[in-house]
Amino acid sequence: MSRVATFRQSITRHIEREDEPRQKPLDFRLIARLMDATRPYGRQRFWLLVSVVIRAVQLPALTWFIAALIRGPIANKDSAGVIQGAIGFALLAFSTQFVMHYRQRLALELGESVVTDLRNQLFRHMHRMPMRWFHTNRIGRVISRMTSDIEDIRIGVQEVFYVTLVQFIQMGIAAAAMIWYDWSLFLIVLGLAPVIWVINRHFHRRLSNALRNMRESFSRVTATLVESVVGIRVTQGFVRQEENARIFEELSLDHSRYNSKVLKTHGKFLPLLELNSQIFMAVLLLVGGYRVLTPGHTTEIGDLVGFFFMANLFFSPISILGNQYNQAMTAMAGAERLYRLLDTEPEWVDPPDALQLNTIRGHVEFRDVTFGYDADRPVLHHISFKAKPGDVIALVGHTGSGKSSIINLVCRFYLADAGQVLIDGHEIRSIAGHSLHRRMGIVQQQNFLFSGTVAENIRFARPEASDADIMDVLRKLDCEDLLTALPEGLHTRVGEGGAAVSSGQRQLICFARAMLADPAILVLDEATSSIDSATESRLQNALEVLLHGRTAFVVAHRLSTIRHADQVLVLDHGRIVERGTHDELITHDGIYAGLYERFAQH
Amino acid sequence: MSGVSGVSQGNQSVLKVRRRLSSKKLLRRLLRLALEYRGPCTAVVLMQITLVVLSLSTLGITGLGIDYLSSQVLKNSAPPQWPLGLHPPATWSPLQVITALSGLILIVAMLTAALKYLAAIASSALSQEVLVRIRTDVYSKLQQLSFNFYDAGESSSIINRAAGDASNVRNFVDGVIIQVLTVLLTLTVYLVYMLKMHVWLTLVCLASTPLLWVGAIVFSKLVQPAYRQASELSDVMIRTLVENLQGIQVVKGFARESEQAARFQEANHNIRDLKETIFFRISTFQPTMGLLTQINMLVLIGYGGTLVIRGELALGTGMFVFANLLHEFANQVSQITNIANSIQTSLASAQRVFEVLDEPIQIATAPNAQRLERVSDSIELDDVSFGYHPDRMVLHHVSLKIQSGECIGITGPTGSGKTTLLSLLKRFYDVRSGSICLDGVDLRKLNLDDVRRAMGIVFQDSFLFSNTIAANIAFGIPDATLEQIAAAAKIAAADEFIRELPDQYDSMVGEHGSNLSGGQRQRLALARAIVTNPSILLLDDATASVDPETEFEIREAIVAAMHDRTTIVVSNRMSTLSQTDRIVVLQDGTISATGTHDELLESCDWYRELAELQGLTAGPVSRAVVDCGNHEAMRKH
Repeated sequence: MSRVATFRQSITRHIEREDEPRQKPLDFRLIARLMDATRPYGRQRFWLLVSVVIRAVQLPALTWFIAALIRGPIANKDSAGVIQGAIGFALLAFSTQFVMHYRQRLALELGESVVTDLRNQLFRHMHRMPMRWFHTNRIGRVISRMTSDIEDIRIGVQEVFYVTLVQFIQMGIAAAAMIWYDWSLFLIVLGLAPVIWVINRHFHRRLSNALRNMRESFSRVTATLVESVVGIRVTQGFVRQEENARIFEELSLDHSRYNSKVLKTHGKFLPLLELNSQIFMAVLLLVGGYRVLTPGHTTEIGDLVGFFFMANLFFSPISILGNQYNQAMTAMAGAERLYRLLDTEPEWVDPPDALQLNTIRGHVEFRDVTFGYDADRPVLHHISFKAKPGDVIALVGHTGSGKSSIINLVCRFYLADAGQVLIDGHEIRSIAGHSLHRRMGIVQQQNFLFSGTVAENIRFARPEASDADIMDVLRKLDCEDLLTALPEGLHTRVGEGGAAVSSGQRQLICFARAMLADPAILVLDEATSSIDSATESRLQNALEVLLHGRTAFVVAHRLSTIRHADQVLVLDHGRIVERGTHDELITHDGIYAGLYERFAQH
Repeated sequence: MSGVSGVSQGNQSVLKVRRRLSSKKLLRRLLRLALEYRGPCTAVVLMQITLVVLSLSTLGITGLGIDYLSSQVLKNSAPPQWPLGLHPPATWSPLQVITALSGLILIVAMLTAALKYLAAIASSALSQEVLVRIRTDVYSKLQQLSFNFYDAGESSSIINRAAGDASNVRNFVDGVIIQVLTVLLTLTVYLVYMLKMHVWLTLVCLASTPLLWVGAIVFSKLVQPAYRQASELSDVMIRTLVENLQGIQVVKGFARESEQAARFQEANHNIRDLKETIFFRISTFQPTMGLLTQINMLVLIGYGGTLVIRGELALGTGMFVFANLLHEFANQVSQITNIANSIQTSLASAQRVFEVLDEPIQIATAPNAQRLERVSDSIELDDVSFGYHPDRMVLHHVSLKIQSGECIGITGPTGSGKTTLLSLLKRFYDVRSGSICLDGVDLRKLNLDDVRRAMGIVFQDSFLFSNTIAANIAFGIPDATLEQIAAAAKIAAADEFIRELPDQYDSMVGEHGSNLSGGQRQRLALARAIVTNPSILLLDDATASVDPETEFEIREAIVAAMHDRTTIVVSNRMSTLSQTDRIVVLQDGTISATGTHDELLESCDWYRELAELQGLTAGPVSRAVVDCGNHEAMRKH
């Protein structure tokens, strides 16, 4: 694409380049790792190898058999020989297909097993990563590792090696047979080898460049497509349909040019490769014919016929091997991307001797905590505060002041860069993540529900909870009637393909989910923003009872909560600028009082 | 890419199919599409057939060579049968004849290579032409379709129609059709050639071919449903992954990693178990088919061998050529399974592509619509009723007259129809009854683009494209100058923060504006509306999701933007409402009160309550007290 592109000429400019791995010819480290991945299936792999080798002998044997029959019994008009030969051929053919069944099944099963393992491995690896990783990695990338890259690897594992092996053995046997028929004729074949090698090299480089360009132009097409569909309201609101269609057509044309380039390169490559075998046939006919006709030479007509058959057997693997080479490259590119992800070690994990806390009382303390999502840009500076079990801590401040960052540290989604976060007096990073999170309840503004029923979603927090436990929580939250009123009550399906629940109902489900965990520490991050006022006041009353004995961190949404908080922390640019109860802060007449007044002044 | 398609296939069931076309109709339409490209299609098929003939002649010449040599060397061999009555001149020495024959092979080989290259170019040109056309057709249709279409569908499935589906439809023209014609013609050529060589040998050797055919059909019937089931299972697997990525905070927050991993593993193993049955079937079917083709070869050896011995068949032009032909014939027949699969895929995709292309554009400019320059007089809603579904009305008998230059506030509880009202003004939907008039002319009698250009809109979620800031602001006027863009940004109070960015107006906006704060996004969205200099400005709760500090900044910007325009602002914030000329209270889809801020404090209970809640109980960081999920109105239907 021309780089003149001004802002008019594009809809989106988002392109992911980082996923293109550097193309190395054959990376033996990667191959070794892929071999390693098949190790658990050693028996399968062994029998596959055996069947592949048998087959590699059977295939040329079949051809050789036909050739031998034609030049032997048939040319010699030996009827009995023909019949014997035919029986032999039938047996050989049957055994070939019998082996084929195992060769194919074992390969497919091996591929599938490896793919299944890699998927599980990737999924578990993903869960080990800390939250920062999820914030810096796009969902689409992980999905393409899980799907297209692993699929590419499958082909590599189940096909490339074995097909290549078969073809090489076949070529070897064909070569041996040709040498046996007439070694001097085989020299002609050898003479063609460098030509083929040069052609291969030349086109390989061009093809991989063309393919990369094609993929990049396609990602421009899809990125534009995605944003166009998601942003359709803006497009029609601003009457950009025709302009967008024009831009998209240009992008499509651009992509199709790269596509054509690939096809044309292929169009030159394959015929040139095949031309070699044709040239060989011509030369063979000439030289072989000369030697058959010239008295004194021992070449027999039958050998020549055999040679023709074997030459076919020798040349046909070349284009197959070329194809396998491409697939190997694709598989390795996929493997490289996948392993790069699997090799990304989590920034931190539980220490080996992590504390298993059976009970958490809910004592939370920040000691001079400094934290930033980028190490060089802290968003929290020297934060210190203490929360006793049962305290309600309200966090106040405008967007970007650091409320969510404090929540993220309390939840141990991130670790502090400096200072300490203590839970019940233990440094948070020394506690086993599981034992902490099992006693923590988090309700956020963005409510995520999994596809499944309402009950399943609530039970997420404690899979062993009974239906009665769930109803009990709902009753305590005073919202039983609101969720049982759904079309199929608690068995209403939500999430993808499920019924539409309002954002208020979603938040209630999340509340119930959090309370079911019977948390010692409860985090409410704008937790009631979508719940209507009537329901909220009911919930609020219920919460006063439910919060009893639990430490709660509340990102302010209603003044009533703030007013009853044991401690209000007013944040500004990552520092605590004021702290105290609502009344103290109003009396103090500082920032909090000002914010409060400004908002209430009308 | 396959990730996207994998997810979208799961959604296909969700997306309701409007008019399912029968396979026969789809096929007819696809054929009609292919017919438009009959020139290039025919050219490609002709080249393919010529290639088949060329490869046959290579084979024939080689066979001839063998026969010629045999006749020269072996006493009892029959003389070769020269084709087309072409005898080599009697004066030529045997070596000259052989040289001529190998020269011929070489010439044919060159011709083949050249022709293959030409065929590759021709078919790539054809396929790109078809693909670009289908893709752009689908895209421009998607751009024009009314929101009803988008409301019903999952976006990933819609996206896939212009990506994967378009490509599969293309494959019908440049793949399926050409392949079918080529295979049929090739088989015919082979058959004729073989029959000419020896009728009985041909018939006996090909006796098992119908079995191949039957086998392929039985196999695909046996395996197709399993494949479909496997792809559904893999949708489940992908969905588990996607949900774990999206809901990672929930998973980690409740320490449920191991349960999720077990769930994923189960989904994964379900796929493997099913696949194993598929694998067994495949690995039984294919060798069986292979055996059948080898039986043909067996017949050739037995029967053909006898014929050679009896002297009824030549060794080279007969036996050698026949063996090779049988091999090729089997190759072509085995293509048929692939073709059948391609046809299935093309049909399924064609269904989805044609669905988009056939979808009527519900909202479009009427044939003799009037043009609209500026709205100078009034906007009038007369007895307007509307519902996203005809049986569930959202707005009931709404009447409202807005004078040019007025600033109207619209307020009301969730789901009362505020956002819907704005959508109707912009003619994103048409009213079900009643009318909306601009300067006394019904919206439906006006040029649609003019109507939409007359009104600048700031959406609630302020969607931005992943492009530069300048491109985002200039979205409505692609050829705006940088001065115009900066001027609009100044009014929207965005110029200052843009200038602080590293690349200023050329700074990239991240995915969905992720690198900008809510307030900054809102101000860019405002600048985007201002730069088009609309007569009417529609603001949909632009300040709902920002903190008071930012709200204060935006409010100033909005006041600046309102200058000289009719403004309609949806909000539940007193700070915004109190600055309007007139406020309309919407409740349950009807106007329950209108008046100025002070009048409503007197007359409207709901409004007074709202004001009291905000005055007495509003927190400094809080959003407006009465929930502001206007978005729900758009989704709820």
